[in-house]
Amino acid sequence: MNKILLVIRREYVTRVRKKSFWLLTIVVPLLVAALYAIPLYLSLKPTEQSVVAIADESGIFGGLDRNDTLSADCRFVSGSNVTYRYAASLEYALRQLDGDDPVDAVLYVRSRSTQAIPTDACLYYKSQLPPQTLRYDVDRQLQQILRNRLLRAHDISDDEYALISNTKINLRTEDLETGREAFLEVKTGMGLLLSMLIYFAIFMFGSQVMRGVVEEKANRIVEVLVCSLKPLQLMIGKIVGIALVGITQFLLWVVLSGAALGIIQASHADLFHQASQRHQVAELATKGVEATSQMEQLQTAPDISPLLEGLTAINYGPVLLSFLFFFLFGYLLYASLFAAAGALSDTDTDTQIFSLPLTVPLLLTLLLMPAMINAPSGTLSQFLSIFPLTSPIAMMLRIPFGVPLSQLYFSMALLVGTFPLTAWLSAVIYRRSILSYGLSARLAARFRRKS
Amino acid sequence: MLLETQHIVKNFGDYRALDDISLGVRQGVVFGLLGPNGAGKTTLIRLINRIALPDSGTILFDGAPLSDAHVSQIGYLPEERGLYKKMRVGEQALYLARLKGLSHADALRRLRHWFDKFQISDWWNRPVAELSKGMQQKVQFIVTVVHQPRLLIFDEPFSGFDPLNADLLKKEILTLREQGATVIFSTHNMASVEELCDDIALINKSRVVLNGAVDEIRRSFSQRRYEVVLSDLSAPLSLPSSLPIVSSHSSADLLTLTVDLTQDASSNDLVAALLPQCHIVSLREILPSMNDIFIQTVKETQPSISSSDC
Repeated sequence: MNKILLVIRREYVTRVRKKSFWLLTIVVPLLVAALYAIPLYLSLKPTEQSVVAIADESGIFGGLDRNDTLSADCRFVSGSNVTYRYAASLEYALRQLDGDDPVDAVLYVRSRSTQAIPTDACLYYKSQLPPQTLRYDVDRQLQQILRNRLLRAHDISDDEYALISNTKINLRTEDLETGREAFLEVKTGMGLLLSMLIYFAIFMFGSQVMRGVVEEKANRIVEVLVCSLKPLQLMIGKIVGIALVGITQFLLWVVLSGAALGIIQASHADLFHQASQRHQVAELATKGVEATSQMEQLQTAPDISPLLEGLTAINYGPVLLSFLFFFLFGYLLYASLFAAAGALSDTDTDTQIFSLPLTVPLLLTLLLMPAMINAPSGTLSQFLSIFPLTSPIAMMLRIPFGVPLSQLYFSMALLVGTFPLTAWLSAVIYRRSILSYGLSARLAARFRRKS
Repeated sequence: MLLETQHIVKNFGDYRALDDISLGVRQGVVFGLLGPNGAGKTTLIRLINRIALPDSGTILFDGAPLSDAHVSQIGYLPEERGLYKKMRVGEQALYLARLKGLSHADALRRLRHWFDKFQISDWWNRPVAELSKGMQQKVQFIVTVVHQPRLLIFDEPFSGFDPLNADLLKKEILTLREQGATVIFSTHNMASVEELCDDIALINKSRVVLNGAVDEIRRSFSQRRYEVVLSDLSAPLSLPSSLPIVSSHSSADLLTLTVDLTQDASSNDLVAALLPQCHIVSLREILPSMNDIFIQTVKETQPSISSSDC
């Protein structure tokens, strides 16, 4: 036991001391902070003004109306990002593309001859593609003006229109037993997140175990080690040591990410204030004239409250406990198998061959995720979440949707029951292979002889 | 006997690596384990280290069946040996010493002593990758002996050592024996066997083909060949037919003869025949070298090589 502790300590200390460990530990929170900060800065950065010249031969979009008799909602309106100028003709507008005061693009709407409503408009540019915000803005205003025109033509008032467009019927999916709504989107997101986390953790730390075993074999230190302790002790020490490294790294990520986000929020409190103000202004202006692309996003973004309601509807205690359980035993199961794969290999290239049978069930579960999300209680989902090699990932995907306790316990029991088996198998392979070399070469020779 | 193997058999699939091996290693000797490549030496050593277990037969350590508890009393330097490249030298030596059951303080004290002795203390905090091969071998030797095991096993210890380090190693092996350790070492270097070993066992084709004290074995292989150096010959030398001269060589006024004694003659007869004819400067028996014995024994026990093996 004391020897296992020594191995655990060595595995842990040497890994945690590596530069790569700290690099990864620092990079991930920085990435999280960047993901959080960059969109914030971008949204607050004053954007460049783009100019669009409008050559509207149809007259629908305010091109021929020089008397300004039309109401404002039937003309293009300059916003914070895009300024619109009406041009008398297409030629005149096109000339502006490389004039003294150049425009970024020209919007051309053909004159209507037979059709009452134009179905086609074109945005011309020269050499430099106009920014996406410009294209969105033009498109949005085109649709809006067209709609307003049609409303007017059919004599529909704004109130009537609002009534029509805002009336919706809400479809709920409800669990009869709990009487609560299912919140499927939230559960899907949660399931995906948890199962992906388990997938990456198993892969990352499992292959670390494998590489550690190959390293010991390749530099022959294992010859020295096996006369001091049993191969099984070495294997267990390595698996546990690396698990502790993983837990340490994960905790550091959580703490450092939290700290980084806290620093960003604290040091840019004014920015956050501005941002929230802008959102408020945007909300107020929803029906007004001032329309920006941001506002558009805000309008189309789903209402946040069902999401929050969904999040609170999930029972976190069992989910978290299951996560820890499946993470722990999934890792142990795979780490021991990866250790055996490492023991069979002589070099890093060999590991790719011998770890293939292990990556297949992992990848397969990942690929079958969409099918499982479609039917979280279907036959496929049930099978994958009970079969021990796939259950850690598959069950975590299912758990937010609710799994019958009998199935959950059966899957857990099967996983726990399989672990001693695979550990024993791995230990046998490990013990037999750790001191023999050239298996892949022997296999290759055998295949050559047969063919 | 510190170590005794009784009728050890070990199979790898269809291949019998060790067949009925019975050997005894006396307390406080240097025991040479000899044999051509693939004879089963490393397998036997692994059984003694409990890295593998025999299929049948028993191994006794100090009279008791060998168990895991004995592992801390054995120090093993494998033929193919390595160290963690990225770990620091001192830290690594400490780790390996502690795996042998030493406490932290004990291990540190003894390692410091050995590092000073081998003059590598400056390297304590350097990563192993920066060490030369010779220095790595010194570190490996130190971690083999640091826990003061009663039984030391060196598998091909001199392979890869430069002559300077090989000499250092030989001296240390003899010092350890004087301090009471028993040493088993396997080697192809027959000169070092004559120099170091008290007893040997020769394994060929999975079986013990020769076993005993080096002196006795060499005597048993005696071809009754003598070398005499003579001077002051009065007339051309003549010897009876029971004392055939194998070769002669003269330089200045000395004549060196090699004589094989036939079955019915003794060294006394040789002296008696020579005395009246000349002055005897020296006379000694030429014992076959371990190298000759090795080659002769292996050839005798080698079944003729069949063509199917090729």
